[in-house]
Amino acid sequence: MQPIAEKNAPQASDAHGLAHSAPLPVGAGNRATIRDFRTPPAPPPALHLDDYRTILGQANLDGLRCLADDLKHKTVKWVNSTAVGGGVAEMLNRLVPLLTELEVTTHWDVITGGNDFFEVTKAFHNALQGNDYQLTKHAEEIFLMYNEQNMQRMQFAEDLIVIHDPQPAALVRARNGTSAHWVWRCHIDLSHPNPQVWDFLRTFVEQYDSAIFSSQSFSRQLPILQYLFYPCIDPLSEKNKQLDEETIQAVCDEFKIDRSRPIVTQVSRFDRAKDPVGVIQAFKLARKYVDCQLVMAGGGATDDPEGATVLQEVKNAAGDDPDIIILDLPPWCAVEINALQRASTVIVQKSIKEGFGLTVTEALWKGKPTIASAVGGIPNQIIHKLTGILVHSVEGCAYQIRYLLTHPDFARHLGENGREHVKENFLMTTNVKRWLLLFRILNGNRTQSLP
Amino acid sequence: MGAEAMPAPEPRRPGRPFYFNTSEHLLRISREKATTLPELLDALRHCPAASVFQHTFRTLQEHHFIRQGFSNDFAHWALSDCNEPALAERLAGVDVREFTSLEDLRQALVGILEDHLGQNPGGRPRTADEPFYFCVADIVVMPTSFAPDSLRGFVDGLRQVSIHSIHHHFIEARLRLKLMSNDFSQWLLEEMQLPDAARAVNRIDIYTLTMENVRQQIIRIVERALA
Repeated sequence: MQPIAEKNAPQASDAHGLAHSAPLPVGAGNRATIRDFRTPPAPPPALHLDDYRTILGQANLDGLRCLADDLKHKTVKWVNSTAVGGGVAEMLNRLVPLLTELEVTTHWDVITGGNDFFEVTKAFHNALQGNDYQLTKHAEEIFLMYNEQNMQRMQFAEDLIVIHDPQPAALVRARNGTSAHWVWRCHIDLSHPNPQVWDFLRTFVEQYDSAIFSSQSFSRQLPILQYLFYPCIDPLSEKNKQLDEETIQAVCDEFKIDRSRPIVTQVSRFDRAKDPVGVIQAFKLARKYVDCQLVMAGGGATDDPEGATVLQEVKNAAGDDPDIIILDLPPWCAVEINALQRASTVIVQKSIKEGFGLTVTEALWKGKPTIASAVGGIPNQIIHKLTGILVHSVEGCAYQIRYLLTHPDFARHLGENGREHVKENFLMTTNVKRWLLLFRILNGNRTQSLP
Repeated sequence: MGAEAMPAPEPRRPGRPFYFNTSEHLLRISREKATTLPELLDALRHCPAASVFQHTFRTLQEHHFIRQGFSNDFAHWALSDCNEPALAERLAGVDVREFTSLEDLRQALVGILEDHLGQNPGGRPRTADEPFYFCVADIVVMPTSFAPDSLRGFVDGLRQVSIHSIHHHFIEARLRLKLMSNDFSQWLLEEMQLPDAARAVNRIDIYTLTMENVRQQIIRIVERALA
């Protein structure tokens, strides 16, 4: 293994004082072209709809404005459990300004609660995604008490109330006496929920007008309308924006990645659910027949005790193989991840369990031929042999790495289709469109189910 | 020394402009779900027509960038989740352009499934890798700023509208018109008296082209008519 993450690593600290293994830069000349990735970057500037014109085209932007026309005097409230950190807050931080620009008045509220509340909701979250859990009366009382406190604190005068995820779900009890439409946006996988927790939660969910899920397979049988909103990426974010060749090269130089040879990459936390050891096994099988390097870029090894264990397992599996480059990066390394993905010849996401799999979305958006496991929301993104390759085993993954590295025309075709698939279905602007459509539908604007 | 080339005269003015509209869709997850082929058949018999529309006509719009190998969601599921290539081929061969009625389209799909299950009777049906979730779409039709009253303006509109608008007028239109045609061909025929161009546009093969390719082909046909 190339000892980048180990022997060369000084200890850097993030804003929380957490240490990260960080590789030394290769050359001072290269360092001048990118920032020091050990320091969090400044927040990016606010984006406007017109910034997306080159990606979407004028006609699609006009379509968004047309959809928003009937909603200009309508108001929307969003409620979730955190203003920073996590996918929902990240999404709302992008969505709210764009809707505001479209003159849809939006108010974003965050629920408050003590540690006991968030311990209970964290347990609920895990149980709803299938973990074992014994629901107690005490946990129910804590959940309801904090929801009641937030209900008293908040006002619900808007036309549309959107509640995100289970934590604030019981706020729907405030709907009596309001004329608003209430929508529950569920971001988690409810395909195999703990029955006790789901039975408790569904009494609230059924009081909404409609629910939104991220994949058909995450939904439940409910007496209310259920809509499908795929998660999305922002094409102009640091992680997904176009990068110049110089930046990509500088990042590769920094991490001692040889761009003259094929690069196979998996970007994910050091988590067993992402099967990083399986990726190394697949890579080693593939490399018997085709020259390539493997980049395993991720994080979570410093702030998650299990992550550190998994990282060690990954290092053990890699051994002293100089073609396996393991990078434990801090969470703000969006540009570096972007550059690594863009430098890759093939991207792998060999998860055993997955939510929607936004790292797959990111890879597809960059036009990269992508091999991923058929789990969670990945089959929504990868149509086998059309927008990417679905695999079910180490051996299958190894074969497809070999195939794509030796059939570049097919690989390029997959990448092109994958990017178009993301453009059509998984971009932030598509999500803006979905919300506008939903607001119109709930608002009683004319819709139809057939042409 | 020749005279400066004169632009070809614009053909006749249409009686009515071509109003480019577009449609947007919001997916709703419906109750029907299938985990085996017999369950798919049962659900297909009873699902709303809007689901048949979603998984045939509409899915073509969602996958407009695919040139080859994608026809409808039922065929895709039969192949990728049921490992039934022969059935998948037959389902994929159902051409939505041959239908102006969703009930007729439903019957065609049901007939193929019945035939396949009839030829492969007995035994416990194999469970698919992933269930088939039936969906429907809530559709919003919107105007665009393009309403040309000339052939040149029509070409300009074709260039500038979204792919969704092309799909709306070219693919979905036949369900509205109840004709084996599309809005573009009808306008070229009825308003511009260009039957050859109308016919050529209607013959464009949507199953071997991306929707962007379709747009370009329509433009080429109309420009030839202008020349």
